[in-house]
Amino acid sequence: MVKIRIDDREVEVPPGSNIIDAAALLGVEIPTLCYLKGYEPSNSCQVCTVKDRRSGRLISACGTKVVEGMEIDNETEQIRDVRRTALELLLSEHVGDCRAPCDFACPAHMDIPLMLDQISHENLRDAIVTIKADIALPAVLGRVCPKPCEKGCRRKTADGPVAICDLKRFVADADLATDDPYLPPCKPDSGKRVAVVGAGPSGLAGVFYLRRSGHACTLIEQNESLGGRLRTEEDEQSLPRDILDAEINQIIRLGVDVRLQTSITTKEQLDALCDEFDAVLMAIGRTTPDQVEQLGIKAGRKGIDVDSETYATNRRGVFAVGNALRGNGMVVRSTADGKEAATIINQYLAGWKKLSLGHGFSSRIGRLESGEIEEFLANSVPAPRSVPANGTDYVPSDATEQSERCLGCGCVAHNKCKLERWSEYYGANPNRFPRVRRPYEVVGRASSVLFEPGKCIKCELCIKIAERAQEPLGLSFVGRGFDVLLSVPFEGQLDEALTKVAEECVDACPTAALSFAPSRRPPELTQIEISSRVKAKQ
Amino acid sequence: MITTNPRIDLTAVDRMIEQIGRGPDAVIPILHAVQREYRYLPQEALRRICEQTEITPAAITGVASFYDHFRHHPVGKHMISVCTGTACHVKGADLVDDAIRHELQLAPHEDTDTEGEFTVQKVACLGCCTLGPVVQIDDAIFGHVSSQTTPRMLQEYDEAEFVKLSAVHRPISQPRGPHTTEVRIGLGSCCLALGSDKVHEALCDAIDDSGGDAYVKQIGCTGICSKVPLVELVSPDGTSQSYTNVNPEMARKIVQKHFRPKGISKPIRYAASRILDWIQSDEDQDVLQKHRAARDGVVDSFIGPQKHLTLDLLDAIDPLDLDEYVRYGGFESLKKCLTKLQPEQILDEVEASGLRGRGGAGFPTHIKWRTVRRQVSPTKYVICNGDEGDPGAFMDKVLLESIPFRVIEGMAIAARTVDAHDGIFYVRAEYPLAVERIRNAIEICRQRGILGDSVMGTEFCFDLEIREGAGAYICGEETALIHSIEGGRGTPRIRPPFPAESGLWEKPTLINNVETLATIPWILRHGGKELAKLGTETSKGTKAFALAGKVRNGGLIEVPMGITIRQIVEDIGGGVEPGRTFKAVQIGGPSGGCVPAELADTQIDYESLSAVGSIMGSGGLVVLDDKDCMVDIARYFLKFTQDQSCGKCTFCRVGTRRLLDILDRLCTGNGKQGDLEQLETLSTSVCAGSLCGLGKTAPNPILSTLKYFREEYEAHIAGYCPAGKCVDLIDYCINDKCIGCTLCSQHCPVDAIPMTPYYKHTIDLDRCTRCDTCYQVCPEDAVFIASEP
Repeated sequence: MVKIRIDDREVEVPPGSNIIDAAALLGVEIPTLCYLKGYEPSNSCQVCTVKDRRSGRLISACGTKVVEGMEIDNETEQIRDVRRTALELLLSEHVGDCRAPCDFACPAHMDIPLMLDQISHENLRDAIVTIKADIALPAVLGRVCPKPCEKGCRRKTADGPVAICDLKRFVADADLATDDPYLPPCKPDSGKRVAVVGAGPSGLAGVFYLRRSGHACTLIEQNESLGGRLRTEEDEQSLPRDILDAEINQIIRLGVDVRLQTSITTKEQLDALCDEFDAVLMAIGRTTPDQVEQLGIKAGRKGIDVDSETYATNRRGVFAVGNALRGNGMVVRSTADGKEAATIINQYLAGWKKLSLGHGFSSRIGRLESGEIEEFLANSVPAPRSVPANGTDYVPSDATEQSERCLGCGCVAHNKCKLERWSEYYGANPNRFPRVRRPYEVVGRASSVLFEPGKCIKCELCIKIAERAQEPLGLSFVGRGFDVLLSVPFEGQLDEALTKVAEECVDACPTAALSFAPSRRPPELTQIEISSRVKAKQ
Repeated sequence: MITTNPRIDLTAVDRMIEQIGRGPDAVIPILHAVQREYRYLPQEALRRICEQTEITPAAITGVASFYDHFRHHPVGKHMISVCTGTACHVKGADLVDDAIRHELQLAPHEDTDTEGEFTVQKVACLGCCTLGPVVQIDDAIFGHVSSQTTPRMLQEYDEAEFVKLSAVHRPISQPRGPHTTEVRIGLGSCCLALGSDKVHEALCDAIDDSGGDAYVKQIGCTGICSKVPLVELVSPDGTSQSYTNVNPEMARKIVQKHFRPKGISKPIRYAASRILDWIQSDEDQDVLQKHRAARDGVVDSFIGPQKHLTLDLLDAIDPLDLDEYVRYGGFESLKKCLTKLQPEQILDEVEASGLRGRGGAGFPTHIKWRTVRRQVSPTKYVICNGDEGDPGAFMDKVLLESIPFRVIEGMAIAARTVDAHDGIFYVRAEYPLAVERIRNAIEICRQRGILGDSVMGTEFCFDLEIREGAGAYICGEETALIHSIEGGRGTPRIRPPFPAESGLWEKPTLINNVETLATIPWILRHGGKELAKLGTETSKGTKAFALAGKVRNGGLIEVPMGITIRQIVEDIGGGVEPGRTFKAVQIGGPSGGCVPAELADTQIDYESLSAVGSIMGSGGLVVLDDKDCMVDIARYFLKFTQDQSCGKCTFCRVGTRRLLDILDRLCTGNGKQGDLEQLETLSTSVCAGSLCGLGKTAPNPILSTLKYFREEYEAHIAGYCPAGKCVDLIDYCINDKCIGCTLCSQHCPVDAIPMTPYYKHTIDLDRCTRCDTCYQVCPEDAVFIASEP
């Protein structure tokens, strides 16, 4: 056995092990993109770089075998820097959207492609689960939202965007029309109490997600009914009251204590709330600086002044969201505020020192160059956009067809991609190195295996796997240096190149450079839990 | 799946396979053969190879596309290669490339003209650095090409006119006696570029005609490259006379002057023809006198501070005359090592000499040798690394072309010492003459019992083979070189294990550079301590440099370690051209750095050079003057390393590209605040993170120029180029000295200068392509380059 130290922790490993294996014995995962156990390390990605303390040199953890007495630095500031730079360099040649542009454009960041996929499979129950993971009032928003998501839809420039908002309403309405509309599970009682002041869109959203996290919630509303500006500013024709009531009811049914006709307008009243509750969320709607000051908290130009990262007011334990900050924002923005503040309040109640929504990492293609939309449209369902006339709704077959129009612009490896994962972990900035972007393209539309050159990090794994399996054609690098490209010899197709090990190659691919065409893809797993991209950094 | 297209005749491919072999390592030699046959690699041929050999489609695809030398599309009748070496770059290679492309009317992404006559490609250094800019058309090399002379070069090019490099060596026909004078003419590839072949023919013909008691001896490179063609007459008493810049006409006159014709009828005929020549020529004896006068001063000061250990026979022997090499003491050292010295004693001598690797890194040679010797393995290899890829370096080329036996001797001694029986020469494909000479030299050695089963009559067996590179700089890195010999893409691997422990085919392998091996015979002959007497505390012996760039007398030099940069540039090189200012030297090529003129008293040794941000490197030494832009130099080298990166590791593949992006921005006037800081931090990351030496040293040209010439970088951010070099930041203008001679207008390739005889001309800056032609043709110094903040 060989004894080495990693970050001052000693470990004994069999001779011939590499440093990644050694660290694993300590329960430490050294990040790597290009290394796959069982294959000769290619030392390509360099994200596994560690420092040999004795020589002072940076070495590759996958490609270096342990030597008796070795002392390795793994999680130092210098190493984090090197890894971040390696990731940023890889990102600078990466062409791909981790998440679809619609998802980005939606203030609530709903996983729209997943919802559309579920609708296209006529799986409406899963679709409402997906929707309510991020949007508390979908039937309402399906009627009042100005649809920023559709402005982001890549198909907009071709033959009109996917009818995301109408499809969402279709799902939400269908859900409300059942005997047993979807009630998300709530976590066990946290023992914490939260007051939410104001029952407009932000307050309702806030209480919905706080309740789901297991906190005891009290919703305080100055009027005699819930809904805030949804009730006062939206006319009945565009937002029928039965829909509004039904959707609010689904929130209250989670077990929310409601205090109607109760105003919180003075510092004394807020003091009292702060005494009674562990946290207070002010969702009081449009307000004036004077009114804010009467509450004894700091006012900004448009209302309550909060930390832009955390929704925290200058009073500890008091947070504020929605039009109380913005004066006049979209309803979907207010619901997104409510959801995000709930995440922050969870952290606050759990005693985190640093509250943060995290900057969810995402690589983005940005504006498409001419011709690139064709790559997205290839193999797409040719149906034209259609939306139901006012007051009517889709028939299910129309909804299926419309949802099938989705081009699936996001990345199939989202949440599985190693580049995404470690970039997020090390806080890599995808725009650190400005560059002329390579064109977006998908190679091998005719095959059941697709190749996106813009996502390939040249790890060589697929080449090695195909070589070991003695694929008759196999894969190869073509060219050299920055322009090196994965390719099928003799202009062959990917299906010809990978007759035996396509699945192994797709699995091993650290990004989604290699993926299965939708026809060969396993069905998506439904997302049940609220996705929280924030890691525990207490 | 793999189908063969019957359109082209593939029997040649089958024949090549039969000759070369069917193993995976045969791939590069087979591809070379295929390209020689078809002038590119037809896909049908590649498929055929896969059918007939163990080479897989994936392997052949990866390899064929990795190396620059291999072409994948049919090419024009003639191949034009524009050298992009450092020396050519600073002398305006880009302008020549533009001019050729303009002349052939090529669109930006085209490489072949519509008639299919010419295909243009840029190539890494051709190793004729003192003749820059250099262009090679087929097998002929043209030196001192300019944008102005380009059209004529293309119009007049006719392949029949030019002797093929490989055809040059012709056996000596004249008899030699005790009173015979030796007429030496250098026929290195650089000499050939300046017409030495024609001078050689003229000398032979003239001696035949005159019947003088002389014979013409072809030697390799003379080293004094700026004065070639150079003819030296060595009398039987040992005295010699040299003539520089000789042309065929002068050659005849030299012969005539020195050799009295014998017989009667011949001289009359001879004299008659000479009289005609004299009538036609207004040149006379004066010309010869002038060239002799020029020779004495320059040649003496050029040679003076030098110390020739490895290059000493350069200008004396016929490269392929084994007997002559032996007369000069050749193979004595090998014999001594085989018969008198035990391997341990050889190692002690090498250790005592203090010899360090001349390829650049300076690793102590004896340690490498001892490591290989220590390995227990029935099979070991010795490899001579002749993949001299640094642009601006040509020492190894010259050694291989001019004294091939010496390198072979060094390899045999190394093999004997480490107990290896197989040796491989890995030589760049860009050096066809070197490959040819080594191949012939090996054959001669085999015939004469110096290589083979019984080396020099002893029980030691050792043989050599040649592997040609295929245009990949990275293959100078030893692990990449091994992959290349094994038939793979030339990608390096992580060390350890070092090749000395596990190298070619996982056997212990000794890899030494050409110059290192060429020094070995001297050490064994004179003793290690003798070498150690030369040089500094840590760097012993001598080092060969290719001195080129903005220096008056460029050439190949060998100097004792410890000499200063100033001595090299000023004493040997004669300084920069009059009117120019010595600004810096670039030492060590793409891995090296620029040492500013203020630090010219820095000593040449491994440690001193690295202390000033450069490296010894393989020996390229390019002198820069005030017209050279340091940002452009950094960009030039980054472009090179970026282009030559194998693409394996992130820091090198992407990092060097991002560094180049920033330099491109600076040189095109798009620099912005923060760029210099970004350059520095990213350079540091690329140095620290890259897998092999190429990436680890690639940022050196940036870091050293940023350190010494930061104000030039800042000027580029401000939008101007103080040296007037970066075409996007400069304008060509005409001042009042213009006499209206119209030359500029006549030569302007884009009609940007309206013809106004007797009046001051003006340049239409919107049309002007900054090709520099007007500047070159103006007889009145009226064209100037403006770049203002």
